[in-house]
Amino acid sequence: MSTLDPRSPRPPAGSGAAHAAGRHRRDERSVAAIFLVMRRMRVPLMALIAVFAISVLGLTLVPGEDPEGRAHRLSFFDAFYFMSYTATTIGYGELPHPFTDAQRLWVILSIYLTVIAWAYAIGALLTLLQDRAFRQALSMQHFQRKVQRIGEPFVIIAGYGQTGELLARSLDALGRRMVVLDTSPDRIDALDQAPLRGDVPGLVADARSPHSLRLAGLESAHCEGVLALTDDDQANLTACMAVGLLRPDLPVVARTVSGAVMTRMQAFGSPTVVNPFDRFGEHLLLALRAPSSFQLMTWLEAGPGADLPDIGRRPPAGRWVVCGYGRFGRALVADLRDGGFEVTVVEMADAGLEAARADGVDLVEGDGSDPDVLESARLDEAVGLVAGTSDDATNLSMIATARQVSSRLFLIGRQNDPAYAPLFQAVQPDSLLVPTELVAHEAYAHLSTPMLWRFLQQMPGKGDIWAADLVAELVERCGERLPALWRLHLTPPEAPALQRWLADGGIRLGDLLRHPESRERELEALVLLVRRRDETFLKPGPDLVLEPGDLLLFAGRPEASSALQTTLVVDATAEYVLTGQRRPVGWLWRRLDRRPDDEHAREVAEHR
Amino acid sequence: MNLEKVVFGFFVLLAATLNFGFFLGDISRPELHSVYELFAAVVVNLIATVLKFGDRTQIGAVHLATSLVADLQLIAAAVTWTVAANIAGDGLTATETAAVVSLSGGALLANVVSVILLLVETVTYHRNQ
Repeated sequence: MSTLDPRSPRPPAGSGAAHAAGRHRRDERSVAAIFLVMRRMRVPLMALIAVFAISVLGLTLVPGEDPEGRAHRLSFFDAFYFMSYTATTIGYGELPHPFTDAQRLWVILSIYLTVIAWAYAIGALLTLLQDRAFRQALSMQHFQRKVQRIGEPFVIIAGYGQTGELLARSLDALGRRMVVLDTSPDRIDALDQAPLRGDVPGLVADARSPHSLRLAGLESAHCEGVLALTDDDQANLTACMAVGLLRPDLPVVARTVSGAVMTRMQAFGSPTVVNPFDRFGEHLLLALRAPSSFQLMTWLEAGPGADLPDIGRRPPAGRWVVCGYGRFGRALVADLRDGGFEVTVVEMADAGLEAARADGVDLVEGDGSDPDVLESARLDEAVGLVAGTSDDATNLSMIATARQVSSRLFLIGRQNDPAYAPLFQAVQPDSLLVPTELVAHEAYAHLSTPMLWRFLQQMPGKGDIWAADLVAELVERCGERLPALWRLHLTPPEAPALQRWLADGGIRLGDLLRHPESRERELEALVLLVRRRDETFLKPGPDLVLEPGDLLLFAGRPEASSALQTTLVVDATAEYVLTGQRRPVGWLWRRLDRRPDDEHAREVAEHR
Repeated sequence: MNLEKVVFGFFVLLAATLNFGFFLGDISRPELHSVYELFAAVVVNLIATVLKFGDRTQIGAVHLATSLVADLQLIAAAVTWTVAANIAGDGLTATETAAVVSLSGGALLANVVSVILLLVETVTYHRNQ
């Protein structure tokens, strides 16, 4: 309110003003519940006070007598005591002396009055507790308190559908904190039952309103990203706009299936827009050309603990039959044709037919699940079939029909509704597009650490054999379950014990990866990427010399991570790991060790 | 004319006048201070407080605060009176009466502030018209 108050000082201009106004609105919201109670309870409380006052006053005025028959009036204290236990129906009897009839007459009246007043007040309070507006105010307040109490970095997930759920699980496994917004109360209720380790505050709110995002902590210093994952393109676009304008420094990952919306999103800041239909075409081409690179990519994107995915079979070159020429079919056909594949499209909807004719693709008109239509598309001569309509039942029957035509066909299915997942698993297509999963994996790669995304971008350039070797090495060191990924910045706060060695000619990567207990053993970890200013080294060899300020992306077992932590922080461990010299840790033993520090360092430098 | 404003003004003013009535008179003479007046002051003050509930403006908040102060002082006075008259055993002495009346004097100050706020509100209301 003070922002409307002419006497209050004007808030400073610029972003500070927005922040101040936002903070104020938050305060106002958080006291809303208590004010609601006070306002609603005004009349019942006044009735209660009035009835009590009349009863007590009357009781002190009505003449009474003590057991000896002398006149005695109740004091205010006695009267208040008597009315308190009578009105609340406790009733200890007539104190301090038995009442006279005149007093009893007054008490009868008081009892009825006070009981009614109490019932009214308690009834009003109970009604208020069940009031929808009041409950909303309470849950909002509760949500806000929880968000404000998150004392560590968190991301805002707008839209807790399939994608949001998958992503929340992966990020939770990394120990990251989240705040969830969804328009459906059912989804927010589902959040409470989700098997998440962290406490995830959820609010039923529309991501389209910047106010909801603000409630979810958009302006908090701990907010480190926003994910717009609702199934509504407009809502995602609005969320993108809100973040781009209010917190331009925050990374945004947004989902859309429309190219036009994608362009509009990119007008606000630089959000990462994931279009599952577009991305699937790129993935498919990668899978067809470089199965090992694809395997590595899907594995790393699947989140910690994921099993190594099967390496797909590689279909021979040839013609593809794509059923369904909607947004997905169109994007995929464009990718396939760019990749040098011949394509025949089967489509029956008018819009799709028109688009196909405009694009000049080889077209067969008809229902893709009809064997005759598939035959006229010469499926028996094709290498693969894409069942890419927006209807799951049609896609399933197309896959089944195609399998009867030829068992050699490479089958790609598109699953829209998660309820069909078991059926799609049962028909076992060679490749399956689940848009929600794809978005979740891409968003994960962006958010878990930005370096993973960089790695995935550059990795295909290294070739398939390189990727196959890397997969083999990862499996050998860490097993068939995806190890944890973490990053390390070689700066004084993160690696204090290494600074001396870094400044003093650098550290061989191979030396850093030795075990702090016995240096002959290697840590069960791999360095996937080293980034130094503008240079990037993908899976560098053990001879790479690290410099101060290098950023490293590790993959490895959690034990390796904690072992490495010791090396980074404890000076003596670092010295042992890097040089093999055991140095005393305590001050006394260091004195007794007699070697001055600089002489020792020179010795070590010579040693290397 | 607004009935709500009339009721509000009535109770705020009545709380102050009753309080003043009780406070009036030599501070240590119990016969000059009616306990019924104290009782009325407590009740009317409580009602005035409840009337101020739920007003979210700045001036409403100060109103509520002054009323809470007056309540606190008057209830303390009533408790002191109860202890002196019913529990201590030797009736109301001059010292105890002085304590009760001076507590109500503090409440009177808060009530006066309340009345001033009411006047300020009324005056600015007219100026804005």
